[in-house]
Amino acid sequence: MPMSMNHTASTIRKKSPGFGLGLRPVHYPDFLREPQAVDWLEIISENYMIPGGKPLAMLDAILARYPVAMHGVSLSIGSTDGLDAQYLTELKALAKHAQPLWISDHLCWTGVQGRNAHDLLPLPYSEEALRLVVSHVDQVQNTLDQRILLENVSSYLDYRSSEMSEWEFLHQVAEQADCLLLLDVNNIYVSSINHGFDAIEFLNHLPVKRVQQIHLAGHSDHGDYIVDTHDHPVAEPVWELYRYTCSRFGEVATMIERDDHIPELPELIAELNRARAIAAETLEALAAVA
Amino acid sequence: MKTLELTDLQIAFHGHLLNQASRIAQEVIDGGRISVDHRLNIYHNAYRVRLLENLRDAYEKTWTYLGDDTFDASALAFIEANPPQHRNLRWHGAEFPQFLANQFPRDTDIAELALIDWQLRHAFDGPNATPVQPAELAGLSPEDWENVGFQFAPTLFIAPLRYNTVSIWHALDQEQVPPTAEALPEPSWLLIWRKGWQPHFRTIQAVEQAALAQMQGGASFAEVCAALSQQFSDQEAATVAAEGLRTWLQDELIVGLTGLLPR
Repeated sequence: MPMSMNHTASTIRKKSPGFGLGLRPVHYPDFLREPQAVDWLEIISENYMIPGGKPLAMLDAILARYPVAMHGVSLSIGSTDGLDAQYLTELKALAKHAQPLWISDHLCWTGVQGRNAHDLLPLPYSEEALRLVVSHVDQVQNTLDQRILLENVSSYLDYRSSEMSEWEFLHQVAEQADCLLLLDVNNIYVSSINHGFDAIEFLNHLPVKRVQQIHLAGHSDHGDYIVDTHDHPVAEPVWELYRYTCSRFGEVATMIERDDHIPELPELIAELNRARAIAAETLEALAAVA
Repeated sequence: MKTLELTDLQIAFHGHLLNQASRIAQEVIDGGRISVDHRLNIYHNAYRVRLLENLRDAYEKTWTYLGDDTFDASALAFIEANPPQHRNLRWHGAEFPQFLANQFPRDTDIAELALIDWQLRHAFDGPNATPVQPAELAGLSPEDWENVGFQFAPTLFIAPLRYNTVSIWHALDQEQVPPTAEALPEPSWLLIWRKGWQPHFRTIQAVEQAALAQMQGGASFAEVCAALSQQFSDQEAATVAAEGLRTWLQDELIVGLTGLLPR
């Protein structure tokens, strides 16, 4: 089990701002009423890529109180349609306004031929897809003038045209495009069950210095397969995988994502505190060994 | 067997989502605990569920009015006919009121209700503008009053209304049984806009609609008053104009003054 931390880690990724939550409108009043035990918040970029109104006013109030990361769902970095210039312009305008910690989206495609599926569809792990994604990331990073983070998605099928493993694909994208990674530990777990791979092997093949953020979320177990639904608390096997993730990647900004059946804020903060405790225990253990 | 290139693979996958004949199944590895068809169906279902949930959210009152079965059937038919073309899911469903008007040609109260749902959402996150304060008008000179025109809130939306849809909306909003749809006795229009951070709507009659349309077309307030004088006595026209202006200011509908001479 590789426990050593890459010493060049800090040269690419930014220092962790700590433990965060995905900002959901139902919690606006909680965050604006009084300080909460949350170090930073992640917004869904598209929710604020709108002309005006209350959502943008709420965002401004949040920005005055918390560091914010931007997380998009529609960049479609792997679409053969190419990048959407208007989308990038709007994303850049939001970034200029929000001055986020960083900007992330998913390593996937969301549509083709000008139509959008509004789903995070899997790419084949092929040289062709790798070249396309690397070229698109390069364009996006030049436009936004910063490194972006790409997140591993959960998937439910494998293509015959894949030529490498998902972790090799992620690794190659990150290195060749010189971008950062957002590790969704739940997605790794979900895909490890759906595809029958070893989640630890997945984690061991990713470059430590490029992992900037971690997502934790819940899923729905259908018996023969698991669906990444973000409507449950984080599952026990995912907490175990998070423990290993902490030991391999060190201090990484971690947050809980909940998109459905959203509980009261204290419940999410309690879940986040479990992440804090696991990370602290793991890092202390590492320090003791060192 | 040769595999598809990435473009064709994506077209085939998306075609499968849209129920088109597709060779995507041949591109997926057969193995593991569930079949290729099952794997593809997870995406096929997720596509519809996500878009349906978005329409239920955007057309909440229409959903309540029609009930789950009728709403979902219409929404799913709409989804099949209108694959999203915008990157932001927020914009999918703009054509749903027209779709409902075609589906229920004898019950266009449904389409009217859907239009209220959509335009309220539109007003909610539409462009910001600062309302003109009454004091700004109080400072105008008599010459200014001869020329002044109004810019209205960028969220302002006006459409003809044939039914008591506003009453239906309010009943649904208060979780009461909505009244039977009935044609309105006189021509009416629906006015939707945002005041502060809150979307608002009300019904207006022909006089106010004509005045608003005239001013949106570039007419000055004096020209609106002149047109009112054709319909009413001078005193009535002055009262109607003053009352209209007072309401527009109170509703924060006026966001700019035009036609003023440079000082």
